[in-house]
Amino acid sequence: MIEAHELTKRYGDTTAVHSLSFTIAPGTVTGFLGPNGAGKSTTMRMIMGLDRPTSGTVTVNGKPYRQHRAPLREVGALLEASAVHPGRSARSHLRTMAATHNIKASRVSEVIEMTGLARVATKRVGGFSLGMRQRLGIAAALLGDPRTLILDEPVNGLDPEGVQWVRQLVRALAAEGRTVFLSSHLMSEMSQTADQLLVIGRGRIIAAGPVQQVIDSVASDGVRVRSPHAGELATALTADGATVTSPEAGTLEISGTTAEHVGEVAFNSGLLLHELSPRRASLEEAYMRLTQDAVEYRAHTTPTTSRTAKAENQ
Amino acid sequence: MSTLTADPPTTSHAAIPPAAAQVQPTFAGVVRGEWIKLLSLRSTWWTLAATVAVITLVALAAAASLNAMADDPALAPGIEQMHGAEVISSGFHFGMLTIAVLGALLITGEYATGSIRSTFAAVPTRIPVLAAKALTLVVLTAAVTLVSVTLSYFLTMPQLSQYDLVPALDDPGTWRVFGGTLYSLMAAALFSLGIGTLLRSTAASLTAALTVLLLLPGILSFIRLDWVETIVSYLPLPASSALLTTGAVETQGAYLSTQASLIVMAAYAVVPLAAAAVTLHRRDA
Repeated sequence: MIEAHELTKRYGDTTAVHSLSFTIAPGTVTGFLGPNGAGKSTTMRMIMGLDRPTSGTVTVNGKPYRQHRAPLREVGALLEASAVHPGRSARSHLRTMAATHNIKASRVSEVIEMTGLARVATKRVGGFSLGMRQRLGIAAALLGDPRTLILDEPVNGLDPEGVQWVRQLVRALAAEGRTVFLSSHLMSEMSQTADQLLVIGRGRIIAAGPVQQVIDSVASDGVRVRSPHAGELATALTADGATVTSPEAGTLEISGTTAEHVGEVAFNSGLLLHELSPRRASLEEAYMRLTQDAVEYRAHTTPTTSRTAKAENQ
Repeated sequence: MSTLTADPPTTSHAAIPPAAAQVQPTFAGVVRGEWIKLLSLRSTWWTLAATVAVITLVALAAAASLNAMADDPALAPGIEQMHGAEVISSGFHFGMLTIAVLGALLITGEYATGSIRSTFAAVPTRIPVLAAKALTLVVLTAAVTLVSVTLSYFLTMPQLSQYDLVPALDDPGTWRVFGGTLYSLMAAALFSLGIGTLLRSTAASLTAALTVLLLLPGILSFIRLDWVETIVSYLPLPASSALLTTGAVETQGAYLSTQASLIVMAAYAVVPLAAAAVTLHRRDA
């Protein structure tokens, strides 16, 4: 369980995280989405007690992270794959962390086995590929068998097998009742992995809730049609009130209506169809639309209004 | 890697026994973590080897130069006033250089590589980490000084015996010089750790620490103002010089008394560390 209450972080004049309030529930995988610079990593660092909030609070499993007696048992974090000294071996890195909590050497070996690092455990991390570093970061996160996991882009740099493994791993961890909070820029992967979403842009929450609900809130399902009479069909459908676009000649993307209705219109007009398929809106489309709004908001903000906004904040 | 996905994480994770109740941080654990950290880096071993090598080589060179002194009628009488322990400890400056590098890298290396985040995630209260680093650094400095001095003692023995300068182990003067060497090197190591924790950058920390420890006395020696000379006498190198003599011969007035030297050197060790401890708690990692 992670609870943030009006969490804010300012660096000088820049507000990286603006008054975030959210709750990440145990037993679920919550995806943390947002463009680069949206404040995801800063938020995660504040949860881990690494960065101090300018105002507001955030607790993990009921307490600020710093106040836990055994922090590694409460939270395991992969904050960035580079949080390891390149001159040290993977096993030494894990041993240094394990030693602080008196975690047994057998547990170090276990997480090395689990993450598939056994063959390279004694090699220096400096020679690791990004994927191997990610695995080491995940091994470090699992070390204390924590109730909550915070993973910042865990699949970044992993091969397809690794991506699938992370998906299965976080699903299994959530199924055991743990809290899993992870960020990623891979939308298709996120839609397969997460139950809940938290989308932020420019330090503010844009959307939050179950994955399907977030998608439905901005992106409507559509219908895809291929027809030798695409032009006539488009005219008929537009007259009927649907929105029609044509990504390529002979193909139409229709929104604002159902596949059944498109079929009826085609039949009534005597138009031949080669394909008629309903399309579900993807998380990627929904994400693009959500964050595009944030970008538009920024682009339309003139220097004058931003100064006014700042004055209002103060 | 393919064996990994063949082995479903669900089962392998479920096979893990729930973390034992005794799994929680202790200061001893944090110290052990720092110890593993220090010894698992090649740079540590290089620095330690370099420290032993320079201290020993300078001692050998100093002992060898006795021949030249003896040949020079103007310098020859000076040999009688020398103490063998001072010859053995004459590589002290160079030892200070490498030990200071080790002390600064202990913390700046973590900031440079980002591993500080792993460290503070494990020990979010942070201060125990700094304390553990200080402790391991002091122990390692003591060990490497002991090895260097012992090695120098035996290697210079054939040369020193020609001039009847082999330091007697029942002579308090001998132990004063060796003790002073150890004390000053420990202080320099801690000073460097404190500066490194405050400045975080390797380049800035090394520049600041080595300037104060080694360079300033030389640079300022050209300025003949009373107040500058007073300041210089409180810099680590001049301040420690009283601790590196047998005390049998009165040194010039510019130098501090033994007691004052002990206090000044302790202040160099403690003040930056205390300041670092205060800021460490507040700053973002």
